[in-house]
Amino acid sequence: MRYLIGVDIGGTFTDCVAIDTRAPGGRAMPRIGKALSTPPDFQTGFIAALQAAAEMHAITLEQMLKQAHVYHGCTVGTNALVENKTARVGLLATRGHADAIFIMRAGARLKWMPSNYIAHVSKQTKPAPLVPKHLCQEIDERVTFDGRVLMELNEDTARDAIHRLVDAGVDAIAISLVWSTANAAHERRLRELVQQIAPGLFISISSEVSARVGEYERTIATIVNSLIGPPMEFYLAALEQDLAAHGYNGNLQIMSCAGGLIDAGHARALPVMTIGSGPVAGLIGAADLSRRTQPGDTANVVTADIGGTTLDIGTIFQSEPVRRQTASHGQFEYFVPTLDVRSVGAGGGSIIHSDGTALKVGPHSAGARPGPICFGRGGKQPTVTDAAAVLGFLDPDYFFGGRLKLDPAPAEQALAELGLALGMDGKQAAAAALRIVNSQMADAIWLTLTQQGYDPRDFILYGFGGAGGLHAAAIARELGMAKAVIPLSDLAAGWSAFGITASDALISEHDAVSMTNPFDPAGINAHWRDLEARVIARLVAQGVTKDAIRIEHHAELRYALQTNQVPVEVEGGDYDPAAVDRMVGAFEKEYERLFGKGSGYAAAGFQLTNLEVRGRASLSDVALEAIGLGDHRRQGSRKGMRMAVWNGGAVATAVHDGPMMAPGDCVAGPAILEFPDTTILVDRDAVAGIHAGGSVVITLNTRQGAA
Amino acid sequence: MATSADDIGPEWSGRTRSYRPRADWKTRIASRVEFHEEAIDGIDPVDFEVIRQKLWTINIAHGDTITRISGSPVLATLDFNMSILTEDAEVVLNAPYVQFLNAGAPLGIRYILENYGDKPGIDEGDIYCCNDPWIAACHQMDVMFAAPVFADGKLFGWVANAGHQYDLGGIVPGGWPQNAEDVYSDPVVLPPFKLIEKGEMRRDLEALYLRQSRLPDMVALDLRAQIAGVTFARDQVLALCARFGAATVKAAMRLMLDQAQENFRRKLLLVPDGVWTETRYIDQPLPHIRHNQRTQLTVTKRGDRLLIENDGTDVQTPGVNGIPFSTWSGSITGIISISMLFEQLFAYGGSERQIDYRPTPGTLTCVDHPAATSGGILHAVTMMNAVQAILSRMLATEPALKQDLVAPTADFALPVLVGVDDRGRYFGQAILDSFACGSGARSFGDGIDASGPSYSPLSMILNIEQLEQWYPILYLYRKDDADSGGAGRWRGGNGLRSAVSPYRARSMSIITNTGGQGCTTISGQGLFGGHPSPAGHYLIMRGTDLHEWLARRKMPTEITDLHALETIRLAGKSNGTELGAGDVFELRVGGGGGYGDPLERQPELVARDRASGAVSSDSAERVYGVVLNADGTVDDEATEARRAALRAGRKAWKPVVREGSNTAPVPATGEPDRLVHEYVAATDRDGERILACALCGQQLAAYDRSYKFGTLVDEGPVTDIPGAQDPALHIDDAMVFRRYCCPGCQTQLATEIARADELMFHEMRLVGTAKAKAPIGKA
Repeated sequence: MRYLIGVDIGGTFTDCVAIDTRAPGGRAMPRIGKALSTPPDFQTGFIAALQAAAEMHAITLEQMLKQAHVYHGCTVGTNALVENKTARVGLLATRGHADAIFIMRAGARLKWMPSNYIAHVSKQTKPAPLVPKHLCQEIDERVTFDGRVLMELNEDTARDAIHRLVDAGVDAIAISLVWSTANAAHERRLRELVQQIAPGLFISISSEVSARVGEYERTIATIVNSLIGPPMEFYLAALEQDLAAHGYNGNLQIMSCAGGLIDAGHARALPVMTIGSGPVAGLIGAADLSRRTQPGDTANVVTADIGGTTLDIGTIFQSEPVRRQTASHGQFEYFVPTLDVRSVGAGGGSIIHSDGTALKVGPHSAGARPGPICFGRGGKQPTVTDAAAVLGFLDPDYFFGGRLKLDPAPAEQALAELGLALGMDGKQAAAAALRIVNSQMADAIWLTLTQQGYDPRDFILYGFGGAGGLHAAAIARELGMAKAVIPLSDLAAGWSAFGITASDALISEHDAVSMTNPFDPAGINAHWRDLEARVIARLVAQGVTKDAIRIEHHAELRYALQTNQVPVEVEGGDYDPAAVDRMVGAFEKEYERLFGKGSGYAAAGFQLTNLEVRGRASLSDVALEAIGLGDHRRQGSRKGMRMAVWNGGAVATAVHDGPMMAPGDCVAGPAILEFPDTTILVDRDAVAGIHAGGSVVITLNTRQGAA
Repeated sequence: MATSADDIGPEWSGRTRSYRPRADWKTRIASRVEFHEEAIDGIDPVDFEVIRQKLWTINIAHGDTITRISGSPVLATLDFNMSILTEDAEVVLNAPYVQFLNAGAPLGIRYILENYGDKPGIDEGDIYCCNDPWIAACHQMDVMFAAPVFADGKLFGWVANAGHQYDLGGIVPGGWPQNAEDVYSDPVVLPPFKLIEKGEMRRDLEALYLRQSRLPDMVALDLRAQIAGVTFARDQVLALCARFGAATVKAAMRLMLDQAQENFRRKLLLVPDGVWTETRYIDQPLPHIRHNQRTQLTVTKRGDRLLIENDGTDVQTPGVNGIPFSTWSGSITGIISISMLFEQLFAYGGSERQIDYRPTPGTLTCVDHPAATSGGILHAVTMMNAVQAILSRMLATEPALKQDLVAPTADFALPVLVGVDDRGRYFGQAILDSFACGSGARSFGDGIDASGPSYSPLSMILNIEQLEQWYPILYLYRKDDADSGGAGRWRGGNGLRSAVSPYRARSMSIITNTGGQGCTTISGQGLFGGHPSPAGHYLIMRGTDLHEWLARRKMPTEITDLHALETIRLAGKSNGTELGAGDVFELRVGGGGGYGDPLERQPELVARDRASGAVSSDSAERVYGVVLNADGTVDDEATEARRAALRAGRKAWKPVVREGSNTAPVPATGEPDRLVHEYVAATDRDGERILACALCGQQLAAYDRSYKFGTLVDEGPVTDIPGAQDPALHIDDAMVFRRYCCPGCQTQLATEIARADELMFHEMRLVGTAKAKAPIGKA
């Protein structure tokens, strides 16, 4: 296949990266196509973005699609949740336990909320339940932690319960029973009953959506899956039809939050896996880059995806993205295998305000509408983008490659008004705001790394997204890092779409277990073989040949009297007592790395809580190190000088035309590198170079950063 | 800590009486302790914002470091707190965990400064440890670690944490002995000692510390975690100093304190001067003593200062109903922090400059050594509820503050299960479902069902699957508890009912610990005519037919669905009741108090609550006066008639007997009318400033007297509250439920729970002239 196409649908734009793998000169040639997102019929914007990319390659959409793989990261599920346009879901839960979804584990629901929300107790609330109480039906049955059936499923009352939900007009059902992770028979039987009573209804069962111990987070995952199941089905059917109409006859592959591609059929059954896949794709792209060409010379990377409203933080340790077991929809936390991407309310649209004694930035955002003042679309409150424009960092005539004209004057006026009480003029207030937001972003990254058990100074920063280039160097400096990288220069602006094309097919299957040491190798082997078979079957169904599959085994353990569960990669094959010992050894080593020497209490014994098999296979053989970026000439990239305010002082600053820079080129700060969609700041004590792979690497002189 | 207006004497030394720093405490610091006091003038506002944010982040990461390293299930439920302090131990930052838990840090650190500055000295790299309730701990199980931070060789500040331990000895495993007559039955008491000397752990002292525990290895892990926490925070504060300059960081810290103080002052100035009181009882000083004891909290607000007293609190007796000064004062600052200083994000330190404490020592809320203190920690919640009721009434006098008030939440019911599972493993663990109590109602809306406690916003409950995996129990249900929130125009959030039965257990017994009157009489107080929430309970049904239910494939949804040979309600304090196969235990976790007259609640909201099961039909009809049609909608006509009848019934309530005092009338002030209560306004009438019903204008009392003097009162049994049980089951003191209404319009203005022999509680007495006087405190 000649074209590798990644499409990422965001709230405002649909980005398409189409890579021509057989471009002249032997280098893969990426082209970006952008189109406005078109909710609720997202497929229209999807096709428009493809069209734009095809035009950039100077071919027709049909020509391109005839010889293409199409990979897709979609926000249809997220969008349906946020806009409350989901299916009407009924819940079947074990009698006595349906209220878990209303109780929400009490204060645990606030764990990921911003600190000002947590502190203002009288303004706290609980969100409307995902399933209203009258659509929750309790089922007489009970399984215990050891997998025994304490009470058989009462099919008579279960049928009545299902009928009540069907009569109430539900169009999807979520089934989540206590301890279905230990024995899923009742959940499966209930699904059969639903299928008999209401054939065609969308059904999710918790043991298949996310088999982890913890009924609250598992039930929420199952409900979310059912909420977005029908809209996802509708969307994918429409999209496949549109693609076929334009000549695409391949498999549509969908990006999952687990960090790989799954086929469209799998995504229909487990749409919860698509939530958050956009930022995850960005992290995958970054990990891939760090593995292959290693700009910045290290495989330890923090990613900062900076958009209009949020900063998405990801961590890559030795080229492997850090994972976690839960994600959140507002206050609802649910189990899903995902890369650990944390969102903070800070971005280009963050509003600058004052409490009279200090300047503050965010967490509110002007978003795309009305947007920053300098966009001239009715924005009245100054934002971070306004500050950057006022300081001279953005070229008013070359923003988004000149597609949007900026007017910094009213922004400076607004900032001056804000600064008045604090004795600052407009430019000083702008500089203060940038410093504050950079510091906030750095603090959020610092806290993330600390919570994950890492030291920021062992990492470098990749900055991407629309505003990545503006902040990357400042954040990296604040964190005491040596380097900041803008991956693949201008592609940074469409990085998630690009990351999708860099993704492998990835299937993860896991079993929650509850084993106490000494562990029985036979029991473990039974799980491994079953998990491997499930993974391989799914990948084969996805169109991968068996030989191409790479299998990994992961085990999650904890010390019996301690709560930290630590996942470790372990060997495959047939386990004997020695292999079991090696598994425990791997866990102890990783525990010590994460939590410090002597922090585990081995005398209490070990618990094995989860076994997971992951299978991966490349879907293409494009190597990113061979990507061509621009039509650079050797006669220099400098296109002029502009006054810009650095650290309080206005300095005549060299502006470089990014696409004209070639690998090996170096620019000393202060300088501004301009690409059509990305502006990169290189401050005074820094040097920017173009890496052989096409990324911009900013080397910071190491001034000590702190917390 | 405030420098008290009237200085305290040397007997507040931490020996018999709690330690409190005296006005001249700093003069007793050894000369070799050098304070780093330089702070730059006029810190750049951007530097300030950046440093403030970084200090907050460091403090949160301090907590994360503790939970990560410890891995303890106790610390994982966030039963700890941490703080950053100045060189002289003012709290710059605290965290959103259990609010009172580390409130003793400023006390403990000042004690160390006063007593140990010379020998063993305070040096770079030192870490002190302490669990003495008369010095720094809120009870022995919450051990404090405090590390000095040195900049340029001088003492720049402190970082501290306090966290709950598995076991530190004493006569009952886990450290909450309910039968402790005095401190010698409690877990061990350790006054401050220097565990780490210039970076080196004193191995002899570590051994001495661990030797006290039944679970020394586990305590050793938490010890390391807490030490790692303060070490980490100290190093980060130092890095901040290295980067910005210590004098700049100090300037930021001082400004944070000043801003908290100023914010608090400004809010206080909005509230009229007055005296607010709250009386709360604590049941059973020891198991089997069928009496309760009385506590009273009085808050006097004058200008921009608060004076806090505990007059009217019973003298301490043998038993576990007492709390030390650190816990009492920590309860107060904790609630101030969440209701008046949320803008400061738990940076409450500066507010203490506006507070004077004047406790009577030797009483239950300021016990002297050697009272038992470990088993009484749950009464801190009782105290916080008293503070919350008082602060809510104060905030309600000012429209700008009224939206920040929250009625009290439930008292804490804590069952501990101990025994051996069928694999021969010992277990002993508190069931912390009370962390899913309901929150109190607000001035603009209902409380939140199963919200968790207001005083510890992030406290959480574990999944039942986690609990069943760890302990040999089976949860039959965990569900919303109808009527457990207090009724009101805005109702309190509901609590829970959880039922468990042993599963694969060889033996099991239940120990109970309860705050206040949480399992006999009341959970949280109501405000402005809102009802209190009913008490929780520990109910055991022995020898049930559960097995037959399972065989029939039916799961009971109420414990009372079961047939049992015997039904037992455990008292709030009990020391081990066997639970065998087929026995079922139900924990009832309370809800929050209500707000405003229930008859003022929108009938549609009652219909909604009926549909969801949050409110019973008894409550809907008898308390809310709402009649529903068969389809669940409101029968408007019948509702109106029912409410009219209920109001008419209130006309028969008795006038409150007027005191024979002839206090001079308060002259009219010419000021506009002002609401000083949801339904009571201060107004000028006939040359006098009076309190009158804001709805009908009925005169209630002179401005400086309790408005209740002009009301009608009804006194009934506590069981008049829907869902309430009879307190007589466990206590012999007669308890009554009183309701007060306006004689003019019969709006219910107040409710209270009292011993039958108590006179009416005054609740609020405004002072003299309505105009706030010029501030008397230092600015």
